[in-house]
Amino acid sequence: MKVVRDIIFLVVVILLQILLFNNLSCYGLCHPQVYLICLLAMPLTLRREWEMLIGCALGLVMDIVSNSVGIHMAACVLVMFLRQPILNSLVQNSERLTSAVSMATIREVAYIQYALILIFTHQAVVSMLSTFGFAHVGWMLLQILISATVSAVFILGYNLFQR
Amino acid sequence: MNSLIKFIQKYSNFLVFLLLEVVAFMLLVSNREYPKSYVLSSANRIAASHYERVQHIRSYFDLRQVNTELAAENVRLRNQLVQYANIAEHELEQPTYQYSHLDYSYEPAKVVHAITNQQANTLTINKGRRDSVYQGMGVCNGDGVVGIVASVGERFSVVIPMISVQSHVSCMFAKNNYCGTIEWLGNDIRHVQVIDVATHVDVAEGDTLVTSGLTAVFPSEIPIAVVEKAIIPQGASYYSISARVLPDFKRLNYVQLIRNNAQIELENLQHESRP
Repeated sequence: MKVVRDIIFLVVVILLQILLFNNLSCYGLCHPQVYLICLLAMPLTLRREWEMLIGCALGLVMDIVSNSVGIHMAACVLVMFLRQPILNSLVQNSERLTSAVSMATIREVAYIQYALILIFTHQAVVSMLSTFGFAHVGWMLLQILISATVSAVFILGYNLFQR
Repeated sequence: MNSLIKFIQKYSNFLVFLLLEVVAFMLLVSNREYPKSYVLSSANRIAASHYERVQHIRSYFDLRQVNTELAAENVRLRNQLVQYANIAEHELEQPTYQYSHLDYSYEPAKVVHAITNQQANTLTINKGRRDSVYQGMGVCNGDGVVGIVASVGERFSVVIPMISVQSHVSCMFAKNNYCGTIEWLGNDIRHVQVIDVATHVDVAEGDTLVTSGLTAVFPSEIPIAVVEKAIIPQGASYYSISARVLPDFKRLNYVQLIRNNAQIELENLQHESRP
C-alpha cells in the first residue's frame, strides 16, 4: 500500500511541477524546482549508483517537458551523488534510515541543512547551465537565490505540515 | 586485471556519477542551439499530447479574447482586400505587388505548449512532419512574427520564438528599408533589441520594424516590433534600440505557419552556387 501511496505522491509532485511551478514567471527570476522533494525523501536503502540512475531518469523527464535536455539531468545526478555523504555527515546512524527521509525521521535542523544544501546546489547547476554563458552573472545569482528560496519554502513547508 | 576490477569496485559510485554527467553534458551541448532531437523535446508524442489535452481545456478560457483578435484581423484583411481591389482596378498595367508574396502560403496551427519564462524559450505546435512542416519554416500570427520552426516531430513541432536567446531575425524599418537584426536579451518578454543599425539611419520612436524578405523564411513586410527607445551610446557607431514585440507571447493560441513554396528550389540553387 505504501508503494502505491509513494507513486501517487511522485506523480502528483511531477504534475504540480509541470503544470504550476514551471509556469511561474517573475521576470524569469523565479523557477522553483519542487520536484526535488521526491529525490530528497528517498530512503537510504538503495545503492548510490541506483539513486543516481533514478535521479537521472527524473531529471530527463523534467528536461523533456521543459525542452532543456541535459540541464535537469546533470543537476539531479549531482544531487543524488552528494546526498548520501551529506546525510552521513549530518545524521548519526544514517544507515538506519530505511523509511522516507523527512523532518519526522531525522532532526529538524539536520533536515533543513540537508535540504538547503541540495536545493541550492541543484538550482545553481540549473541556472548556470540554462543562462547562456556568464554574461549576466548578477542576474543569474539573483535567479538562484530567489528560485532556491521559493523551492525551499515549499519543500520545508510541506515537511512541517506533514509532521 | 584483478587490480582493475578492484579499482572499478572501489570507485563505482564515482564512475557512474561521471558517466551520467558526461551523458547529460553531451546531450546539453548537442542540443544547445535548439532542441535538435524531437524525441528528447516536447515535440515527442507523449509530452505533446499531454500538453495538447491541457491546452484543449485551457483554450476555452481564452475564447473571448481570441474572438476579439479574430474580429480585428478580419477588419484588417478586409481593408487589405479593398486596397488590392483598388490596385487591380487602377494599376493593372503596373502591378505593385511583390513577386515574392506569391511564393508563400499560410497554414494554421495551434500552440499546445509555450515556455516563456526561460532564457531558451520554446513553443510546441500541433503540426508536424505529417503536415509536411519543415525545419526553418516561419511562424507568425495576426499581430506579427512569432518565430521559426526548430525541430519537427511526427505530429508536433518545436518553434524557437523571437523571445529566445537563440533567435536572430533579420528585420528592416518599414519607412526607409534599412536592415537590422533582432535579438532578445533574455529578461523581458515584451521587448527585443535591434542591433546593427548604423547611426546615420533616421530612427524615431514608433517606427515599425518588418521582415526584410532577405531570407527565405518570411515574406517581406510582416510586422515584427515597434521601436520604443532608440539611443546612440557615447562614442558608438551603432544605435541601441529597444522595440516592443507585437504578438503577446504569454497568450499565444493560434499561429500561422509560413510555407515557402520555392524552398526546395531555393535551397538547391544556393547549394549549387556555393564555391
